[in-house]
Amino acid sequence: MSKQSLTKLLALLFSFAMIAAACGGDSSSDEEGTGDVTETDDGDGDGGDGDGGDDDPDDDVSSGDVADGDVDTVVEETTGERVYGGTIAVGLEAEAVGLRPWEDSCSSPCYNIMLTIYDTMTAQTVDGNYEPFLLESLEANEDFTVYTGVLRSGITFHNGTELTAQTVADMFPIQQAGTASAGRVSASNLAGVEATGDLEVTYTLSQPNSAFPAFLSRLEVGAVFDPALAASDPDGYNENPIGTGPFVFESRDLDNETIVVRNDNYWMSDPDGNQLPFLDEISFRPIPDEGTRLDATLSGTTQVAQTLRQGTIRDARAAKEGGDAIELVEFQGNNVGGGQFNVLVPPYDDVRVRRGLTHMNSQENVIEALGGTGISLPGTQWFSPDSPWYSEKVAEAWPKFDFELGVSTLQEYIDDPERSDGKAAGEPIDVELSCPPDPTLIAAMQVIEQTWTASGLVNVELTNYDQQTHINYALGAENGFVGEHGAHCWRWSDNDDPSVAINPFLAPPTAEIAEAAGIPEVVSPFNFPNWFDPDSFGAAVAATQTDDFDERYALYESIMLKIAEEVPIWYSGHTATALVIDPSIQGLSGWHLPSGTLGNGTPAAIGQWREVWIAG
Amino acid sequence: MGRILGTRLLRLLATLFAVTFLSFIMTSLLPGDPVNAILGVDAPRDEATVERIREELGLNDPLPVRYVNWLGNAVTGDLGESYINRGQTVWGDTIVQRLPVTAQLAFMAIVIAVILAVPLGIIGAYRQGRWQDQTTSAGVQVALSVPNFITGIFLIWLFAVKLKWLPASNWNRISDKGIFENFKTAILPATALALTQMAIFSRLVRSDMIATLQENFVLSAKAKGLSDRYILFRHALRPSSLSLATIVGINFGALLGGTVVIETLFAIPGLGFRLINAINQRDILVIQGITVFVAVAYVLINTVVDLFYSVLDPRIRKS
Repeated sequence: MSKQSLTKLLALLFSFAMIAAACGGDSSSDEEGTGDVTETDDGDGDGGDGDGGDDDPDDDVSSGDVADGDVDTVVEETTGERVYGGTIAVGLEAEAVGLRPWEDSCSSPCYNIMLTIYDTMTAQTVDGNYEPFLLESLEANEDFTVYTGVLRSGITFHNGTELTAQTVADMFPIQQAGTASAGRVSASNLAGVEATGDLEVTYTLSQPNSAFPAFLSRLEVGAVFDPALAASDPDGYNENPIGTGPFVFESRDLDNETIVVRNDNYWMSDPDGNQLPFLDEISFRPIPDEGTRLDATLSGTTQVAQTLRQGTIRDARAAKEGGDAIELVEFQGNNVGGGQFNVLVPPYDDVRVRRGLTHMNSQENVIEALGGTGISLPGTQWFSPDSPWYSEKVAEAWPKFDFELGVSTLQEYIDDPERSDGKAAGEPIDVELSCPPDPTLIAAMQVIEQTWTASGLVNVELTNYDQQTHINYALGAENGFVGEHGAHCWRWSDNDDPSVAINPFLAPPTAEIAEAAGIPEVVSPFNFPNWFDPDSFGAAVAATQTDDFDERYALYESIMLKIAEEVPIWYSGHTATALVIDPSIQGLSGWHLPSGTLGNGTPAAIGQWREVWIAG
Repeated sequence: MGRILGTRLLRLLATLFAVTFLSFIMTSLLPGDPVNAILGVDAPRDEATVERIREELGLNDPLPVRYVNWLGNAVTGDLGESYINRGQTVWGDTIVQRLPVTAQLAFMAIVIAVILAVPLGIIGAYRQGRWQDQTTSAGVQVALSVPNFITGIFLIWLFAVKLKWLPASNWNRISDKGIFENFKTAILPATALALTQMAIFSRLVRSDMIATLQENFVLSAKAKGLSDRYILFRHALRPSSLSLATIVGINFGALLGGTVVIETLFAIPGLGFRLINAINQRDILVIQGITVFVAVAYVLINTVVDLFYSVLDPRIRKS
């Protein structure tokens, strides 16, 4: 071999080694967006809610078991001697656009920051119920149209202002007009807030809503802020947000770092009587690249990395098995990836098409393409097997992968001379399958495309539009909310009370349909598949008029069964999330409400930082 | 000189008009609605709020009206406010805040690239066709072929994860944490950006140096018995650096708008990181502001480089 050839060979080998090392060291970084489907980055905050009632769902309903190897939701008491002091850095998947609960829309990364500054009126327990948090008590009247809450006494804002019932009443006009909160106020049916005592607040609703306590756990309606400051200088509030939370806002360098420091006058103690919080300071850092965020924790740059991507969970598990000193606080959420058919558009208006295509969709293969094998569970409904709302009956009813059955079901439509798409009998149907241009989503789309195409009955056109365009096509504000989508990737559900997510999905999607149903005032642009079933909508409304868990469970089960029958949407896998932590970080999952009840853990990778400490 | 400046100014104005008009049209015609990003797509949608926001932001006005309004404000220095991060001005809170970060990265990348490129180029030229030249050429080829984000990932893996010498992400501002801490967060992304630049520069130096080494004055220097090192560095390097000076200036301008991927990878709060977020959120005024700024900077830097070049080389001035 000549010297020249040897030199070239060495250079080539060096090149390969460099690329291989880079890829091997960070296999996730080329798949940001590994998460199944990405549409509604729900970031629903602290997630779920129970029914607002006193029943313990777990006493009545057997939740599904968790398959071996998938992400399990573990919420348990943390042991060990609490230690005060220390600073941690938390890597988040995105920056918070603002820090005002009434004005700035807030998803999962933002909730991590906001919940250090603001407390909410209620919070969700480990059992999925809601309990008072800033409130000491919350009682509903018989028909769930009036709620009376009593605030804890002696609570002050970070600026020393006392929290009173009048504060909460004064917040309401701001919330009614707030960009982020107006819609949520409207959805909760909240019509008025009155101070009926020094610490007594009366919430009046326009219609019954047994899930109202769930809304009080969300930042938009439930977070307490200083209304006088907010009204006088809304922009200034963003520069210096004031709450009653365990940490005080210190500084913000947008897209780089938000720092909060310990609130020495925080009102809450843990169940052992230790004054909270334990940490001196938290630095929240947006790190959008999944691989870098994980590497930042592996390298000690940060002590916590948030992820909502199964590919990153896979990489973190591999790093841990490979000897890296990290732990994973995992959570199998209700949020489920998949997609929707636009049922107002042929051929998706025919249930045979929807069922046929769904039967021809191998969830296991799709989850594998998404990098979620052994992490995400296949979805059959809006609730994961870890949820008290999960139904085995629905899981049985869901049209699972059965290629032959799918072909025969679709064939019926194709051979129908009256088929809705206007094509001649025997011709294949045309399907536009669209997802945002994420590498793993594209891989998953290709899996579906191959299966559908293999039937010989479907011409599939794959399209990718960026997230905003993808959303806009489904929203369809320009064409009466019908949308311009066909088969469209989407995400469903969250850990909130089912009423919060499901009711808008079931309401009439267009003015014409609402008119025909006799409820012209009820139109929901969030019914993206445009599927309207009067019985299901009625069940959803009925579920807001009772707090009996069994009754509500039956109602939501009936809705899920109807969806399994009509298939306006399809599922891939549930969205597993995790907080990857340095092993010295303690107390993240097992946080408490003031009553001493365990909280709901870390849904959507949202940490509650007040009880976190650094082990010595 | 006056004519050159006049021509440059006209060209700058024409470029700016084209850049602003096209970027405004393109971003505005995209189907995504900034209101979705402001509200959050899964939030219950209150139509009165949607309408109020659209009105406040002027989104209900026809496209030409919006462009003319924007242009009218822009010429007075008002580039507007972010749709998403309300209250944040495009000029003061975005460009002025972030330019130093991106400029520092670009500057460090250029410095690293030049430091590496000049010796490599000289070696390649001095040992043209020999194994030293072959080796440096192969190395340069690799540096050109590997995308900078792959280099970035490799650097993070090596220096942050494995060796734990440097942080993997984010940015320490000099004003907050001092120059040493700032350097620790800047060196990896700057190196990732530098390698491609280094490859371009070293090729340029090599080819220019080869030409210079064949000039008569070099041959006479050799005939005088001067050492090779003296000839290379004192006689040949300066005339071989004219093209390098030009390309360094041009690439510095290009890097101001070309750090998007590296800033996103390393989570660095520069112009590129902000721009990519703005595009995803349809934050049109931020997109516009940064685009215009980068275009102006690029054209100005090119103009300065051209003028500087003509000062350095009288033959160009005469032509």
